[in-house]
Amino acid sequence: MKNLLRFILKYYFILLFVVFEFFGFVILIQNNNFHRSGFINFKHAVEGNFAKRFLNAKDYLDLRNQNRALVREINNLYNLQKNAFRNAFNNSPEILDTLLKQHYVYIDARVINNSTNKQRNYITLNKGSNDGIEPEMAVLANNSIVGVVKKVSPNFSSVISALNRDFAISAKIKKNNYFGPVTWDGRGYREVILSEIPHHVDIQIGDTIISSGFSTTYPEGIMIGTVKDFELQGGNFYQLTVTLTIDFKNLTNVQVVKNLMKQEQIDLETSSTND
Amino acid sequence: MIKVFPRNILRFLVLVLIQVLIFNNIQFSGYINPYVYLLFILLLPFETPGWLLLLSAFLLGFTVDIFSETLGMHTIATVFMAFIRPYVLQILAPRDGYESGTYPRIYYYGFLWFLKYTVILILAHHFVLFYLEIFRFSDFFRTFLRVILSSSFSVFFIVMSQYIVFRK
Repeated sequence: MKNLLRFILKYYFILLFVVFEFFGFVILIQNNNFHRSGFINFKHAVEGNFAKRFLNAKDYLDLRNQNRALVREINNLYNLQKNAFRNAFNNSPEILDTLLKQHYVYIDARVINNSTNKQRNYITLNKGSNDGIEPEMAVLANNSIVGVVKKVSPNFSSVISALNRDFAISAKIKKNNYFGPVTWDGRGYREVILSEIPHHVDIQIGDTIISSGFSTTYPEGIMIGTVKDFELQGGNFYQLTVTLTIDFKNLTNVQVVKNLMKQEQIDLETSSTND
Repeated sequence: MIKVFPRNILRFLVLVLIQVLIFNNIQFSGYINPYVYLLFILLLPFETPGWLLLLSAFLLGFTVDIFSETLGMHTIATVFMAFIRPYVLQILAPRDGYESGTYPRIYYYGFLWFLKYTVILILAHHFVLFYLEIFRFSDFFRTFLRVILSSSFSVFFIVMSQYIVFRK
């Protein structure tokens, strides 16, 4: 208190000056519209600036909570998005027609896992036995060969990719119907091998290779690829390098083919060979 | 010494009247408006205590403000001028200080000393006054010109008064 008094006494001149100037400004601002508006503008600018800075600092300190809230919001949105759901119904119903008897049913599916760089590549689809998918069904994309279903779970199915050393499909040259097996040699994901084409067959580079339909799995006429190269193998047979039509690196939508007459054909074939 | 108070009060009244009635009506070319009432602050005795100096400056400015309808502006400028007066006097002090019984006038300390003293204080006052009147810095040099011109006229009238009225 004593120190305060001494301070006031020492600097009373300056303090008094400040007090008088303060009163002067009060009078000025109270009585002059122009100065008042100027002062108020200034005050608002200062206050606004301070409020903004304060809010900035507060926002920064609150970033952790904000991030958490955002992540929660994003999760909510993801949960609402279409691909968080799967169709509860098999949307490929079998059609009853009196003139045409349905042979194949197509079930659409999405690729949810895929690889091209292994020797035995598998593809996982987002539909399974609940959607009517069974093992040994053909998998197509844009009416081109993708693979064959190996195993199914209720909601997923595992597909042997055409890029698998264990994969084989009976194929033929579209223009003259000579057929042979198509396999993958494991070298590149763009090419498969068609072998066992007799050496007298006329082959041109660019010839179309399609599935032969000589199995219960694949319908006939599914696109496989085009001839890139061919050479004689052991003097009697041509081996054809076939460029695949589809690119396995960007595979997304596929169709699974259900053969409705498969069992009938198998039964017949086994019974006839057994006889 | 006892006559100092009534004499200064009388000077106060006379200077305010002169300022309000005569000099407030003089406006050379819209720029120049001499303020001679500051002579009151200039002529206060050296021994004037600080509080009285500031208080009289406040009252003087306020009175002029009331008559010229510029409430606050002259008050602030005059108080500021009174505030720096002791420091200016300190800077301009002769080698052996101010003698007692003397006043800040040409008669005692010469023309040059009085001119310096007046110019500094008047410039300070006018500077505050005109910028306060404009209340922005956008027309800085235009306002500065007004400060310089008005100050020179104020100084002229104040110095002239030393030869006409306050000869002794």
